[in-house]
Amino acid sequence: MSFTLYDYVLSGNCYKIRLFAALLGIDYDSVAVDFHPGREHKSDEFLRRFPAGTLPILVADNLVITETPAMLAWMAAKFDASAKWMPWNEPTAVATTMQWLGFSSRLTSTVGEARLHSMLNRDIDVDKAMSGAVRALRELEAHLTEQSIRGHTWIAGDAPTIADIACFPYTALSPDAGIEHDTYPAIRNWLYAVRSLDQFITMPGIHALHELRGGETDHGQKTSAESRADA
Amino acid sequence: MTEPIGLSINLPVNRVMRALMHEHDVAIWRSASGRLSAWNNRCPHRGMRLSHGFVRGEALACLYHGWHYDAEGKCRYIPAHPELTPPDTIEVKSYSIEESSGILWLTTSGKAEPLALPDNLQPVRSITFDCHADAVVKSMSVSTLAGTDGDPLRIVPISQKPHALSLETANGEASVFILLQQCAGQTAAHILADNNWSADGLVEISRWSEETRRIAEKAVGELAAAEQGVE
Amino acid sequence: MMSGLERAKQDWYPVEMVGGLASGETRDTRLLGIDITLSADDDGKVSVTAGDTPWPTMVAYDHIWTSPSSDPRPLFEIPEAEEKDRRFVPCGVVRVKCSPLRAVENFLDIAHFPFVHTDILGAEPHTEVEPYDVNIDESKDEVIATKVKFFQPQAAKSAGDGIITDYVYRVPAPMVSILYKTCPPKPDAQDVIALFVQPLDEETCDVWPWMALYDYESTMADMIHFQQMIFLQDRSILENQMPRRLPLDPRKEIPTRADMTSIAYRRWLKRNGAVYGALTEVR
Repeated sequence: MSFTLYDYVLSGNCYKIRLFAALLGIDYDSVAVDFHPGREHKSDEFLRRFPAGTLPILVADNLVITETPAMLAWMAAKFDASAKWMPWNEPTAVATTMQWLGFSSRLTSTVGEARLHSMLNRDIDVDKAMSGAVRALRELEAHLTEQSIRGHTWIAGDAPTIADIACFPYTALSPDAGIEHDTYPAIRNWLYAVRSLDQFITMPGIHALHELRGGETDHGQKTSAESRADA
Repeated sequence: MTEPIGLSINLPVNRVMRALMHEHDVAIWRSASGRLSAWNNRCPHRGMRLSHGFVRGEALACLYHGWHYDAEGKCRYIPAHPELTPPDTIEVKSYSIEESSGILWLTTSGKAEPLALPDNLQPVRSITFDCHADAVVKSMSVSTLAGTDGDPLRIVPISQKPHALSLETANGEASVFILLQQCAGQTAAHILADNNWSADGLVEISRWSEETRRIAEKAVGELAAAEQGVE
Repeated sequence: MMSGLERAKQDWYPVEMVGGLASGETRDTRLLGIDITLSADDDGKVSVTAGDTPWPTMVAYDHIWTSPSSDPRPLFEIPEAEEKDRRFVPCGVVRVKCSPLRAVENFLDIAHFPFVHTDILGAEPHTEVEPYDVNIDESKDEVIATKVKFFQPQAAKSAGDGIITDYVYRVPAPMVSILYKTCPPKPDAQDVIALFVQPLDEETCDVWPWMALYDYESTMADMIHFQQMIFLQDRSILENQMPRRLPLDPRKEIPTRADMTSIAYRRWLKRNGAVYGALTEVR
């Protein structure tokens, strides 16, 4: 196998790795860690192997990675020969991608924390997490608005990069913390674009795009014909 | 009364969004053929918000059980009973929605009547303020934004209901249009600009709207703090 | 007739997992709108107080249960909890902004599987719900649905390919639901999955899922992940059902034949005056 992922099913950070692996079409081994309720990532046995005490953890031979931006960069370097997901030879694109990889940790510490509180009763400073979450989402909304004015769909340009993968989960999961997407139209358009990617996978809180799966029949067909006749 | 609830570009075909209008929660969607509908945001089956649903051709389906509703809001298909023709009584309440000058106009009583705007406009963005519309207008300053020819702009009220204003150039031509929609403690501004603006100019307008939001929310926050101090 | 709150106060509710509090640890929570404090003594035994008033506690199904009543109704039975060859899996708490009754009703529903638990508990085009039986077991005063069948792509952590899964559902108390389903590795037995709901108030609940499975392959973490994946898919639905409280007037929400369990559940709640978390016609 390519690598082993120490995984928690409800973690947006773990999902980044699962999602990127799915988009790249690579297989890996996964070890489920009882983050909740067991707090297994804080157990002596776990800390002995992984002192960071965080999830996800990616292990490949002797390499142990504990930070998701590093995991995404490593996966891009190792499995994406086209350098599409991380344009290594274009300095501006590298900078923009790294910039938003860095930003993604702010989504984790704001939206992610607020979500752990509202969903799993974690004891945190809720007001701080919520106001930080709104600031982060507004910053992303402003950036995506400017991208869209310039004709770009994605965070770092014309094609999706690991910056999109890194920012997607906690942005998409903000309703879990009670922050809806209604007032963020540029974010909505971008979330839809990510969800439309080939081989996209879901996680709890992010539903499948049933519109792309196609039903058995078009149950509004009659009305469609009428409306075309009207036109 | 008819209110602007969003920009046309932020509701492409096969998509659904949510608008809050006073006490009404509204699901708005655009079918594959481009037909717009605005409905009470509640599936009559189990009360699920239809704005979380998915578009299949000319029907909107509820995310919970996949019940399909045609453009008239009538239930046409219940996946749990594929052979059943649903009775005509299963129906979602519709509202009148119109599209004009790149803006979606909604009313929850009677027929939507869009405000007449020039034809030569392009969308800039929608942005939501956590304050009353009056505070938004009061905080607008054109000192940091110039017209396309570098001329200063001035703020000109156009209409109170719906709440609209423009930024005019020295020769009296409206260059930017701002349509305000207030709901509860929030105000959405839907911004359009004439076709003379370049992409860089539109980005400037977007940043100007962010600055206006910083000023408006700061002023409202200070006012609230001062009032608390008095008590 | 007693109020919904008075009726609800007579039942037991889960407030913590056994071992969930360390010795000497305390935790504040809420039950039926009442602030309570849980404290674990040096031996880990948990006591519950509301202000200065101690509440009764009991241990059952790997959870700590309490009640505002000094003489609560007897806790329901899950005989399978005595079967020592099962693996017992308490899955931890999940908070949901919805009526405790909506959480239970969703658990009784199979028609949503293809859309909410896509490619796991259901998938298009296998959306049809065949007729099944629903009764009130008068001897136990509980709702019971039998002969429920549904096609599932991945019914359990231990399941491989898609199978037709058989279900039995029980509602032994207004805020508890238990399902019995086909157990892929042991065709003659059934897995048990329960939802124990702690009503914080009428529109917020803490949900404590619990399972008793014949699965000797998966790790505990694997089984917990599977259950949390399923329940958190439901959570985003439950927080978007309006109104938050469960309407008992049949004109408020239109059911079909697939909703027979839900119809029986709503009628049973009404008949028993178990209307805490419900919208009744009067209100």
